[in-house]
Amino acid sequence: MLIEQELIERARTGDAGAFNQVVLAYRKRILGTISRLIGRPEDVEDVAQEVFVRLYYSLDQLRTAEVFEPWLYRLTVNASYDYLRRIKRRSESRMADLSEHQVMMADSVAGGRQEDDEKQKGKVREFMEALFRHVSEEDRLLLTLKEVEGLSLKELESIYGAKENALKVRLFRARQRVLKAYATAKEAGTL
Amino acid sequence: MTDGNNQLDGWFERYRAACPDVDPTPNFMPELWAKIESRRSFAFTFERLAKPLMTVLGAICALLLVLNLAGVGQTPLAAGSYADALAADSSAERTYYTEAIRDNPTGFQAPAELRHAHSR
Repeated sequence: MLIEQELIERARTGDAGAFNQVVLAYRKRILGTISRLIGRPEDVEDVAQEVFVRLYYSLDQLRTAEVFEPWLYRLTVNASYDYLRRIKRRSESRMADLSEHQVMMADSVAGGRQEDDEKQKGKVREFMEALFRHVSEEDRLLLTLKEVEGLSLKELESIYGAKENALKVRLFRARQRVLKAYATAKEAGTL
Repeated sequence: MTDGNNQLDGWFERYRAACPDVDPTPNFMPELWAKIESRRSFAFTFERLAKPLMTVLGAICALLLVLNLAGVGQTPLAAGSYADALAADSSAERTYYTEAIRDNPTGFQAPAELRHAHSR
C-alpha cells in the first residue's frame, strides 16, 4: 500500500484533505495503468479523473481499508472498459481489419529493426491497438492487466472476484482469440 | 501454437515498454474536484426534485385509492344480488345476433293442386 490505512478511513468519512492525499499518492500509478489499458495517451487523464470521481462517491461502500487497492483497480478497469466501449461505438465505422501496413509492422515489432526509438514505440502501440480492436474489451483488459501490467492471478482474483482456475481459462481463451485475429488478418491476403 | 504464444509474449513485452509513463498535468486536481462538485450538484438537484415529486405522487395514489374505494359501494353490481346482476346483464339491448324467422324455413312449396286440396 502506498498510504496508511488510517488515511483511507479518514477519506471514507468524508475528509476532503485525506481524499486529496489518497489521489496524490495513487494518481501516477493509475495514470500508467490506464495508459496501458486504453492505449490513448490523450484520454488517459480524463479516464483517471473518472476513476477518482467514482472512488469519491463509492468510498463509503468499501468494507475495509485493506481491500482498497483491489477496489481502486476494479474502478480503474471499469472506467477503462466504459471508455473503450464508448470509443468502439464512436469509431466502429472506421474499423477495418489489420491493414497490410499493420501486419508488416508486426514483423518489424518482432524483429526489432533499428529505427528511431520513439517511432518504433509508436508503431508498437499502433499495432497492438489494431490487434486489440479484433477482440472484446474484456479480453483486452484482462490480457493487459496480466501480461502488460504484470498483475498476479491472486491480484486478478480480487479485482474480478473470480476463481484462479476460471481466470486461467479466460486468459488462455483471450490469448487464443488474439492469435486467431492476427492469423486471420495475415491470411486475408497481406502476407 | 507455442511459437504463437512466444510471439504474443514478445508483443506484450514491447507494448509495455512502448507505453509512456504519464505524468499528471497541473490541472489534474482542480479538474478532478470540479468534476466531483458538478456530480454532487447534479445529485443534489436530483434529490431535491425527487423528494417533492415522490410526495406528490404518493398523494395522488392515496387520492385515487380513496376515490376507488368510495366508488365501489355505489355500483349496482355490489348493491344487488347475483340474480339481479344477471338479469340486468341479459337485457334485450345486449342481443347482438338475430335471425329472421320464416314459416317455411326449407323454402319447399307443394304443387298447386295439392295446396288447393288441402285448403278445401
